[in-house]
Amino acid sequence: MTATPTATQHKAFSLARISAIASNTLLELIRLKVFYFMLLFALLIIGSSFFTSKFTFQEQFQVLKDVSLGAMSIFTWLLAVLATAMLLPKDIEDRTLYTILAKPVPRFEYLLGKFIGVLLLLFIAISLMSAVFVVVLYTREQDAIANAARYVPDNAYSDQVKSIHAACFNSNLVPGIAIIYLKSALCAALTLLLSTFASSWIFTIITSVVVYLIGHIQPIARQAYLDSATTSHLTKVFLAVVALIIPDLTSLSLVDDIVVGNAIPMLIFVKTAGLGVTYICVYFFVGYLVFSGKEL
Amino acid sequence: MNRRVVIAILALLVFGVVRMPFEAHLEKEHKAAYFHGANLDLSLREKIGQMGFLAALSGFRALVADFLWIHAHAFWERTEWGGMKVDFDAVTALQPRCLLFWSQAAWHMAFNASVAALEDPKQPREALRIKAQREYWKLGEDYLLRGIANNPDVYNLYGDLAFLYREKFKDHCKASEMFAKSAKFPDSPVYTHRFVLYELAQCPGHEREAYEGLLKLYKVGESERLPTLLKHLGELQEKLNVPADQKVYIPPAANP
Amino acid sequence: MSTPAISIQNLTKIYPIPFKREKVTAVQDLSLTVEPGQVYGLLGPNGSGKSTTMKIVLGLVSPTSGRTEIFGRDSTTVESREDVGFLPENPYFYKYLTGQETLRFYGKLCGLSSAKIRDRSKELLKLVGLENAADRRLAGYSKGMLQRIGLAQAMIQEPRLLVLDEPTAGVDPAGSREIRDLILDFKKRGITVLLCSHLLEQVQEICDRVGILNHGALIREGTLDELISIQDQTELILENATPELLADIHALLGKSSARLIEERKPQKTLERYFLDVTGTPQP
Repeated sequence: MTATPTATQHKAFSLARISAIASNTLLELIRLKVFYFMLLFALLIIGSSFFTSKFTFQEQFQVLKDVSLGAMSIFTWLLAVLATAMLLPKDIEDRTLYTILAKPVPRFEYLLGKFIGVLLLLFIAISLMSAVFVVVLYTREQDAIANAARYVPDNAYSDQVKSIHAACFNSNLVPGIAIIYLKSALCAALTLLLSTFASSWIFTIITSVVVYLIGHIQPIARQAYLDSATTSHLTKVFLAVVALIIPDLTSLSLVDDIVVGNAIPMLIFVKTAGLGVTYICVYFFVGYLVFSGKEL
Repeated sequence: MNRRVVIAILALLVFGVVRMPFEAHLEKEHKAAYFHGANLDLSLREKIGQMGFLAALSGFRALVADFLWIHAHAFWERTEWGGMKVDFDAVTALQPRCLLFWSQAAWHMAFNASVAALEDPKQPREALRIKAQREYWKLGEDYLLRGIANNPDVYNLYGDLAFLYREKFKDHCKASEMFAKSAKFPDSPVYTHRFVLYELAQCPGHEREAYEGLLKLYKVGESERLPTLLKHLGELQEKLNVPADQKVYIPPAANP
Repeated sequence: MSTPAISIQNLTKIYPIPFKREKVTAVQDLSLTVEPGQVYGLLGPNGSGKSTTMKIVLGLVSPTSGRTEIFGRDSTTVESREDVGFLPENPYFYKYLTGQETLRFYGKLCGLSSAKIRDRSKELLKLVGLENAADRRLAGYSKGMLQRIGLAQAMIQEPRLLVLDEPTAGVDPAGSREIRDLILDFKKRGITVLLCSHLLEQVQEICDRVGILNHGALIREGTLDELISIQDQTELILENATPELLADIHALLGKSSARLIEERKPQKTLERYFLDVTGTPQP
């Protein structure tokens, strides 16, 4: 260190700051050993075959796909809520938030960096789970083809192989998995919003879980609100609050139908994904609005 | 800080107002593309219990359905057909777009349960055994009809229903009708268009129509001149008294 | 006249209490100035408003009224923090990072390039005496080491102002001495230091000016000489004074209006004694 320091220039927006916070957040979350659940995931999908060994190959593949994508949904959702709920409280309690915000880091960049860290974690988790799923599905497919070669008459072999391929991986699973990711990202954004004003992380988690459950019946409230002619004023207000505040999570719950072969047209996928991204952005910005005025 | 929380809530309400029509419209589009067709009503809740219903509502319909499917097969091992039916009803309500469930449920009722009912050693009266058998056929038919109502955009269940009419009800007219519906789909199996005519050939009052169709196929060439087609063609030639010089196929027995 | 490092003008901060009508006034019409290059001690009992004042200067809390500036820039703006390094009380950095990685992280937050961070880290780790622990995770650091890495991160972007909240709290005498020496070193380099501490002897040793807060108001402010010197007394410390010299001095006193209040052997500080016997070298 040499001469007396002089005034420095400030960059209003810096990707480097955001990426420093994001990569640090990702590292922090990975160190929580969250990926041990991957073991559970692998065990679940491999274990599911024990319950279906006496079934036809179509039934076995169906159960394998259902268990895999169901487990992906639940694990990414849990990861989203638990990882995000602790982000701000931990930094506030440990006072690391003060050392970060005492640097020339806008609160927006801090929050965005934290959120991107969570999104990266979810992306890695879902990619790993997808890889395990594809490997297990491919292995089972090869087993089924080998069995067909052994037991199916020659004239029916190629039809059987076609049936096996048809029952196995279908390309609609890719947009299905993308929507699972978007849904978990939405839950993360919602949890982040809740944590900006919640008094404890337990409150954040409980509220997030409740909103998740109500979010799956929100369309019923919405329809009842839009249709109602004779309901009482109080009921109408209640339905309005649910319809307006709670996110419509059924619009992002398409994988149950996709996994049984229901194709998702491209336009509908784009609209659904667009809705998911809009939710994420709105929840993030509202969370930032609250956080920007938070007394630390 | 409290002021900002109030502004945040207002922002969410405004967002809610803006997104409501879009979401309502998207829901209609989803339903038109056969998503969210599951019928999650109170009767289902009674069948699958509170936790199952909650899981189904929370986006885990497929898992609950699979669990019930496996449960149904436990009933199958004990030949408890009633228990199987309850589970099948719940499974198909949860996953109405899963062809496998409709198809297999129908097969179990119409082909397994019906045979078990006909051979039921606990029922000495044959008339009642036959009645029970036919009731199970009808249950199978019902599953396939409901399956088709939920999946009108695929060929598979039409084909399954056609087989059911052919094998169990011996109703060749309905079988032909269903094969015809299946054949309309570009990805239906290659044999379907032939089966339409085979069944039509056995449907009283439609012999001429069947004959014209089979003749057309015969004229396509060797690839269509399969033994069953030739058999039906020969039979129809006799039934319709086709003049000898117009007959395109002479069955082997008639050859000197 | 140079721009003050910190300028606080009529600062008031009132906290509402949720669900109650009354409010808490944490800071009340506070005005003070810290000139560049000074070491300023902000003192006060618990609840006096020191932390609130510090947080407002750092932009972590917004004032109810009044203005705070850092080198002429409004301290509620993010830009003003380009010039500030902060070490909070009992800081808890990311345990899984090494000393080197911690400095890298904070360097990135300050917009420094990788090369600059590398050079600064090397310099700072040497300055704070943590070169040998640079690759060790912070989980393995002692309290004193954590404070020193805290100082290093505060200095990473070469700020003109350092804000230190209880920098020696919980640190052993040797570590405490090292930290105080660092602060004096910063002062020599022209860095302004705002220091909050309950350890008044340490404050006395290193601060140029102090401000004392109580119930949110500044009740006393000035140089140590102005505040704590007993104006009408003089202290002479003599080495190798002979008994004859002492007798002459007593005789002179007897003839004057001055009164001898105390004559005794001066004492080392307990801290100095501790450091000497535990083998810590003199600064």
